[in-house]
Amino acid sequence: MKRLLADRFSEKFLYVWVILSGLILILMMGALFYRSLPILKLQPLTTLIFSQAWHPSRGEFGFLAFIVGSLWVTTVAMLIAVPICLLTSIYLVEYSSKMLREIISPFIDILAGIPSVVYGIWGILIVVPFIRIYLAPLCGTSSSGYSVLAGGIVLAIMIFPVIIHISMEVFKTVPYELKAASLALGATKWQTVKHVVMRRAMPGIVAAMVLGLSRAFGESIAVLMVVGNLARIPKSVFSPAYPLPALIANNYGEMFSIPKYDSALLFAALLLLLVVLYFNIISRMILSGIKWSNYYYA
Amino acid sequence: MKYYLMAALVLSIIISTLIPKSYSQNNERDLKGHITISGAWALYPMVIKWSDEFQKIFPDVKIDISAGGAGKGITDVLSGSADLGMVSRDINAQEIQKGIWVVAVAKDSVVATVNADNPVIKDILAKGISKDILQKIFITGDIKTWGQVVGSNNSDPINVYTRSDACGAAQTWGKYLGQTQEDLVGIGVYGDPGVAEAVKKDQFAIGYNNINFAYDFKTKSSVPGIQVVTIYPALPPRELYLVSNGQPKSKEVRAFLRWILTDGQTFVPDTGFMNVSADRIKEDLEKL
Amino acid sequence: MHKHAIEEIIYKALMIASCLIVTGVLFLILGTIVFKGLPYLNWSMITQAPQSGYYLGHEGGILNSILGSLYLTGGATVLAFMMSLPVTLYLNVYAKKNSRLVYLVRFAFDVMWGIPSIVYGAFGFMLMLFFGIKASLLAGIITVAFLILPIMTRSMDEVVRMIPQPLLEASYALGATRLQTALKVVVRQALPGISTAVLISFGRGIGDAASLIFTAGFTDSLPTSLFQPVATLPLAIFLQFSSPIVQVQGRAYAAALILTIIILVISIVARFLTKQFTRNIVR
Repeated sequence: MKRLLADRFSEKFLYVWVILSGLILILMMGALFYRSLPILKLQPLTTLIFSQAWHPSRGEFGFLAFIVGSLWVTTVAMLIAVPICLLTSIYLVEYSSKMLREIISPFIDILAGIPSVVYGIWGILIVVPFIRIYLAPLCGTSSSGYSVLAGGIVLAIMIFPVIIHISMEVFKTVPYELKAASLALGATKWQTVKHVVMRRAMPGIVAAMVLGLSRAFGESIAVLMVVGNLARIPKSVFSPAYPLPALIANNYGEMFSIPKYDSALLFAALLLLLVVLYFNIISRMILSGIKWSNYYYA
Repeated sequence: MKYYLMAALVLSIIISTLIPKSYSQNNERDLKGHITISGAWALYPMVIKWSDEFQKIFPDVKIDISAGGAGKGITDVLSGSADLGMVSRDINAQEIQKGIWVVAVAKDSVVATVNADNPVIKDILAKGISKDILQKIFITGDIKTWGQVVGSNNSDPINVYTRSDACGAAQTWGKYLGQTQEDLVGIGVYGDPGVAEAVKKDQFAIGYNNINFAYDFKTKSSVPGIQVVTIYPALPPRELYLVSNGQPKSKEVRAFLRWILTDGQTFVPDTGFMNVSADRIKEDLEKL
Repeated sequence: MHKHAIEEIIYKALMIASCLIVTGVLFLILGTIVFKGLPYLNWSMITQAPQSGYYLGHEGGILNSILGSLYLTGGATVLAFMMSLPVTLYLNVYAKKNSRLVYLVRFAFDVMWGIPSIVYGAFGFMLMLFFGIKASLLAGIITVAFLILPIMTRSMDEVVRMIPQPLLEASYALGATRLQTALKVVVRQALPGISTAVLISFGRGIGDAASLIFTAGFTDSLPTSLFQPVATLPLAIFLQFSSPIVQVQGRAYAAALILTIIILVISIVARFLTKQFTRNIVR
């Protein structure tokens, strides 16, 4: 009898726990929204998002430079990361021996575990001087090295593990029969990969890329150490920029000495949350769709 | 169930070792307590020195000092995170309205810095840089090469560095150039030591620092790799403040402040700062 | 040669190059940290707190940050564990299979897994303001607990999910209640996997700086109270790295090296535990 009571009780207790945990996300959005209200009342949403004028002490809060800065840095990171990651994961799944995969997988995990400050240090020590001394003069411009490109390179490396891991999982789910059929028709391995495997894996690959993108979009520490923190729309990849997460991390200290600044920064955090949420939801839906569809084919 | 008990046990052990012990204070000699100070890098070396000396006299008072910029000092004091804030710029009207209480404790200045291997360093050291040129470098961006600064043919680019965190140095520099921190155009680096290091690493850099970070506090000579530049008209020395949320109530904080304004002032010149005028000190002592 | 054969060779070369880039970059990063940090790693570095202020002091080490990080992340891991384990058990033992609630909660956690740590930091900061806690060990523990909760829950969930249904059914057939099954059968079976989940979360939590900037503060002293600011390794690196004073930079490099070593050790132990798990599982 006691066991049954304990069982009944624990079920209710755990149920509450689960509901609470699910609500955390809603709580976060709600709290951020509540604290952003003052600035939303001050200026219309379109001004906040599309204006370039960022002068908090004069009450002007235009986030455009930061949004564009974030977009530039993330785009550069994706341009670098996606080809490298796709090629690597295809190689590891389709071409390489099992032993090689066993050796390289831990390396990718370690890459995933390196803290973002360490990436930032590496960026300042190696990437920034590299851009300043070699790359920029090579391309005909001059740069202090603290630039969109530096941020992009560091971010790209940070998202390697995410994209590779998920891409590998997706490639593994492509049924062998499809590949065998293609090879039987006389295609080479690469042709099979290019036309059959990629097409089949495309939704999953997109999901992997979107997850990588959202990770890159939200990274703050590593990026703020190398990107230059200048609140202007960048003119080229060699110019400095100021992504949203860096804005929040750098300026939270002055939150209360300028009116509405705390609300502006929390609004930036809300924006970040919504964008990342959007990307995450889409890619998760794609990925869970894949899991289900394999029940039918496999 | 077992795991819950274990987790609860572990957690309670951790908590019990960390709960603050209660304080009791009879007279001044038995001064016990904890003071948290946060804020501008400008005051950091001085407050470190003061707290070292103060703790020699009152070893039971623990003082925690962290730097995050003048803006952070104000924020922490207002939010209750810190007992005292170090501020290296003028306190504005809203802050006073929010209840900020101020004493002036020392003076210092902000200096312009360039890399020691700057291509036109000889000219710069000979002539100095005028405020007009500095405005064109830091605010409008009209001057882009080192040649334009000294009037030669040099075409090396100027890499401008400023502060990315909310701080007094940038505000002071901005004010000197007729604007505010937000109008300074340059690569934003976090923290005063950060700008010094960035200037040290980049041959074409120009930046600004609190005087105590351009000169090494311990060795009393300028940080190797950077060179302080004379500018004209000169930047007047500025007052540095310790602020609190309303008049400080805790015994330790009041004792510390009183000590700073009296015995503490003897340590000021050796640490690279200047004393506040005697009248101002008297005023502030009365505030206490 | 045949066009497709050439294409095959080119792409194969590109793929190998990509693999080399990925592993090469890893070694480059690790190498830089070791090269910079090793000279500063000595006994006094790990047993002393910084003297004369962490920004300017020439002497002293990083004991404050090491202890602070261990306490903070340890506390956060325990806190997150107290929520993860019940939720995982509920989702896998108590709830009806394929119920909407299970799907929604798993989805919610998956999404929370992707939220940037700075948003958690901002959220933690708002909680601090709401409850009147100042920047302290406690605030840091709560924030990092929120940060690692999705990671721990999802990892644990994946592991517990793998336990074969027949095992649970056998337990019920013998008359056990769900609670007994959950605690005695499931947990015991999944223990290596649960430990791995805890370890990975610890590793994630100890390295994160963005969540701590707002909430934990920084200090020269060793952690002695839940309600005072605490020094942590990631912030020790971030704040001291950009100083022109060599000894201060040295502390940052040493902290970076120690942090990286901790993460490496956790990686290795987690891999080992996962192997244990798949070897000893009941099939």
